[in-house]
Amino acid sequence: MKKLNLVTTFILLGIISLFPLFAQQAKITIPLRFDYYYSYEQVVEALKALNSAFPGLTELEMVGKSEENREIYALTINNPKTGKALAKPGVYVDGNIHGNELQAAEVGLYLANELLTKYGKNEKITKLVDKNAFYLIPSVNVDGRYHFFNDANTPSTNRGLRRPKDDDRDGLFDEDFPDDLDGDGSITQMRIKDPFGDYKTDPEDSRLMIRVKPGEKGEWTRLGYEGIDNDGDGRVNEDSEGYVDPNRNWGYNWAPPYVQNGSGYYPFSGVGLSAIKDYILKRPNIIMVFAFHNNGGMFLRGPSTKAQGEFDPGDIRVYDYLGENAEKIVPGYRYLISWKDLYSTYGDFGDFMDHIVGAYTFIGELFVSATETYSKPEKGKKVDEESFFSGPNKERAREKLKYNDHVAMGELFTPWKSYKHPLYGDIEIGGWLKMSSRLSHPFMLQDLVHRNAAAVIFAAEQTPEVKMEVFEKTKIAKDLYRIRVRLTNNKAIPSITYHTVKDKVYPMDIIKLSGKGVNVVSGGKITDLYFDKVSYKKHKPEVQFCQVPGFGKVEYQFLVSGKGELNISYESRKAGKLNKTIEL
Amino acid sequence: MRFYFLKLMLFSLVFGVFWSVSQEKTLAQQLSGSYQDYLNPGDLNNALNDLHKKFPKQTKLIKLASSAGNSSLQMPEIGPEAGLEKKSLPAILVVANMEGTVPVSSMAAIYLADYILNSGQGPKDLTWYVLPCGNPDAYTHYFETPLRIDPRNKKAHNDDMDDLTDEDGFNDLDGNGVITQMRVKDPEGIWIPVSEDPRMLRKADANKGEKGIYKLYSEGLDNDGDGKYNEDGAGGVNVGINFPHLFEPFTKTSGLWPGCTDESFQLIKFVFEHPEIAMTMNFGATNFCLQPPKGGRKAGVDMDKIKIPESMAEMFGADPNRTYSISEIIELVQPMVPAGMTVTESMVASFLGLGAVVNPLEKDLKFYKELSDQYKEYLKDKGLEAERLDPQSAKDGSFELWSYYHLGIPSFTMDFWTLPKVKEEKKEDSGITIEKLEKMSSEDFIALGEEKITIFLKESGAPDHFKAESVIKMVESGQVSPKQMAGMMKDMPKPKDEKEGDPKTKALLAYSDDQLGGKGFLDWTPFKHPGLGDVEIGGTVPFVNNTPPKEIMDSLFALQVPWVLELCKKLPRLSILQSEVKHQGAGVYELIIWVENGSYLPFPTAMGERNEQPAPAVIELDGKDISLLSGKKRTPINSIAGLKVKKLSWLIETEKGVNLNVKLSSVFAWGDEKQIKIGGVK
Repeated sequence: MKKLNLVTTFILLGIISLFPLFAQQAKITIPLRFDYYYSYEQVVEALKALNSAFPGLTELEMVGKSEENREIYALTINNPKTGKALAKPGVYVDGNIHGNELQAAEVGLYLANELLTKYGKNEKITKLVDKNAFYLIPSVNVDGRYHFFNDANTPSTNRGLRRPKDDDRDGLFDEDFPDDLDGDGSITQMRIKDPFGDYKTDPEDSRLMIRVKPGEKGEWTRLGYEGIDNDGDGRVNEDSEGYVDPNRNWGYNWAPPYVQNGSGYYPFSGVGLSAIKDYILKRPNIIMVFAFHNNGGMFLRGPSTKAQGEFDPGDIRVYDYLGENAEKIVPGYRYLISWKDLYSTYGDFGDFMDHIVGAYTFIGELFVSATETYSKPEKGKKVDEESFFSGPNKERAREKLKYNDHVAMGELFTPWKSYKHPLYGDIEIGGWLKMSSRLSHPFMLQDLVHRNAAAVIFAAEQTPEVKMEVFEKTKIAKDLYRIRVRLTNNKAIPSITYHTVKDKVYPMDIIKLSGKGVNVVSGGKITDLYFDKVSYKKHKPEVQFCQVPGFGKVEYQFLVSGKGELNISYESRKAGKLNKTIEL
Repeated sequence: MRFYFLKLMLFSLVFGVFWSVSQEKTLAQQLSGSYQDYLNPGDLNNALNDLHKKFPKQTKLIKLASSAGNSSLQMPEIGPEAGLEKKSLPAILVVANMEGTVPVSSMAAIYLADYILNSGQGPKDLTWYVLPCGNPDAYTHYFETPLRIDPRNKKAHNDDMDDLTDEDGFNDLDGNGVITQMRVKDPEGIWIPVSEDPRMLRKADANKGEKGIYKLYSEGLDNDGDGKYNEDGAGGVNVGINFPHLFEPFTKTSGLWPGCTDESFQLIKFVFEHPEIAMTMNFGATNFCLQPPKGGRKAGVDMDKIKIPESMAEMFGADPNRTYSISEIIELVQPMVPAGMTVTESMVASFLGLGAVVNPLEKDLKFYKELSDQYKEYLKDKGLEAERLDPQSAKDGSFELWSYYHLGIPSFTMDFWTLPKVKEEKKEDSGITIEKLEKMSSEDFIALGEEKITIFLKESGAPDHFKAESVIKMVESGQVSPKQMAGMMKDMPKPKDEKEGDPKTKALLAYSDDQLGGKGFLDWTPFKHPGLGDVEIGGTVPFVNNTPPKEIMDSLFALQVPWVLELCKKLPRLSILQSEVKHQGAGVYELIIWVENGSYLPFPTAMGERNEQPAPAVIELDGKDISLLSGKKRTPINSIAGLKVKKLSWLIETEKGVNLNVKLSSVFAWGDEKQIKIGGVK
């Protein structure tokens, strides 16, 4: 197969690979540029550049290595002057878990660039960086990104992990990849002249094909993606790389491959993924998560299967608030429920973060292809939604081709050219290039990354901000005091998710009263302040377990005997620590 | 080594009753003998080292994983290919004591390794992987004082979700070296003594007018003063239920996800790195050799009656109000996917979220049942007929369920010993029922006689003042007919069931009394508890109900372990049965090859066909100067049932006679190679 590629490459040397137009060899400088796509190496370089430009606010960590030994990096943004990262609500953002979904990594880079370059200059950003810890892994599937950049691809290949799998069950692994027969750096389509074919040339645009009507004479048969029968089994391109889908390989509600295609043999069989899991679990403060993908323009929340049942109503309120705002920040994007509005998935990242880490998680599906327009403004024209299966319809395809011609400068489509195929004989190769279908043209990239980073920033601002006050200290007898403590949170996200509390995943937040000369006689949560109703905790009243709701408060009452200093502490896994001392 | 066994003087004699050991000579003398006492995790590893030293060429020691408590999980690889990176022979994976609560299972695994190497009776064309203890942290408790059962490894876990971790475990309050139970008289108590044997407790039934007396606790203090007893002892994950089939998160013992601890993760990983594993065997508390895996679980979706949700129906061009079979859905979806992409069951199942198989497939149950019958015969032949308590059922998240459902290979389990079943005393029976009474004439009734009527009245729960004598008189005088009497009796409260109480505890008490001098169940003894006041401490001694006296291990293993080797003989074995070459004229020949699975078990299991996990076999033709007119050089074979053949054919064109090399290969079902002369016919 390699031989053939070499030969064809020589023959077709004249064809220019169009891919480099989307990439740049430029030296990475701060502020980062977002008018081209970063290669894997450039993503790493960009993270290193951010780290060395902002040493006081960042830490760069090598999380682990991929299947092919590439390094996976995480950038922490935290201002140590306002506290340790672990003592602040953690915001985790990753992307590009599917190797071909390039712009997902650019969102992470842009977010880092935005937070760091505007720190100290923009009040909103400064406040945010001072309050939160940000954990960014822009590119999760580093092998996929590498191969998508460097190899010939279709728009949707190199999505998975480089873990060989015998897709066609013939005892051989990954032995029949597509082949870049015309050497243009993309895997495009093959078609053959056939009077009995199902397609004919589109009379409106000869580069397109349309289905023939019943009884109408055909012209073309589509032969699928560019390639040959590498293993001689009578099939073409049937056992390509992998397939283990890194977004089906997580440990919550994981299902074997016969139930969930691409789930891998067992949870965390992906070595890079497993390292990222360890990285995440070492940061229990993570409470807000965005994972970026393409495409479709969606902010998805779980659950990912119907059988799990709906989330707790308390958590749904938080999701709705954040999701509905994200919809407004990024035009054309919709806030949806994963299983219901898209399809069921098992073992995905979002479910793991929701259920095991206890963090509010959105999957951001970047890019809306309807933005690739070449049309007259029409009032009330509905955006044409592409079907998940059938792809663009005839009109949409024609418009997209004009968009290619007049807006994208012809960089998305390669014209049909004749080719001598070893199996089919005289055929034509051509069609949409690898960067054509799920990735914004670089001229639109800046807008995409900015708006999506803004959606993250909005959610990050809503991470809990818990404040504690002693709002009553009444002496009710000699050396006996009634102490009332209030915890408030003026942000949308509670101090711990409702699911975590319900399923007892982790302990709730803890309020603890202590002091040398004091004894806590009783204590409990105030259920009705005016009627003095308290649900007393019988044992160990000096320790109370609580959740501080979003946009709300909780109040506790204690009867404390003794004299001297009384220390009241609040400790939360996600929402930090607080301390107060009062004198009795 | 446990104190309650040591004093048993007449032990082997007594055991003869239950395990009528046949005259077959045990292998004890031939073997290294390390299984004659229970070995702790460290000594298990030492025993493996000894074996390795003795058989350096036939064994290789693998360090599979480290437990949360830093014990090493050693696993020898045994067989002619031991130590080779790539294996050509099928392998058997034997794991044991995954919950760490069944000491005898670890010893059985050591015995098996020993047996294979020392007896010279092991098969010559297999590789063995034998893990004697999958959960050394939990198993360590068996060797510690106080004695306690806890299947969790040493990973810290905050069970009660408070401010402290692992802060409130058991305490040996009475200092007898054993953690048992505490019963406390309490107004809110729900337990009452069983009248037949007041050492046993059962729940009071308010419907029958019973009031509870006791509350039950495990032995210990409220160490952290939160009002609860022993609610957060040391320990985290029960390795034995940390596998990915029907895994249940958010319990106190299962761990957060399947494979979340190194013991289970490394084992799962190892299995997938070794596709030559043809069968797994788990020694523990369940027994798939005797009792096939259980079905009857409610499945999520019937694969023949799938409803397509409205949101997707339109896209598929389907009717959301009717049901479809999975193949019908494939037909609907296939035209919509890009050219070259084949829609599979798995794709549809995952897209529609149909979920996993949860009951053993019918085809597989057939061989499980047949082999179970054969095993029972085998035990009978060896004289091992005594009735014992049933093995446990496989737990969700267990190794054995995962192995059957996810690997698609035969998965067997064995327990080696449970308590002898208590023989129910035959009570004298009146032979009369209310239904029979209803149809009797007065004469028939009187003819039964006083003795039988007395028994019948007692059986029916008649009040004590109803004596047989007076009842007979009433019938004789015509005051009451048998039919009327039957009517009255129907309305009477049913007599108390004398057979109350948990049969397992009953078996334990009988065993303890008869054979351990009462040391298997400690009598309730008063104790002044600092928090609960007057309590009584007593109950079942841990491990008594699943751990046979060490002295009989030898014979137990000699009788049962070799069944593993019998099962190995039934593993699918592929070979080229015969071939035929037919000249079609003009240098064209038809080659027909029958590939046989010459053994009992299918290649692969029905579950393996469903999950497509087991690697296919491949038949390859190799010869010069031939061209294939039909058929391929490489032909995958995905399945051949037990003792069945698969017929394959090719059309080959050759001008002169050639020697065709035909190679049949499988990673887990052996294989074959044959030279076939083809062509040369004038």
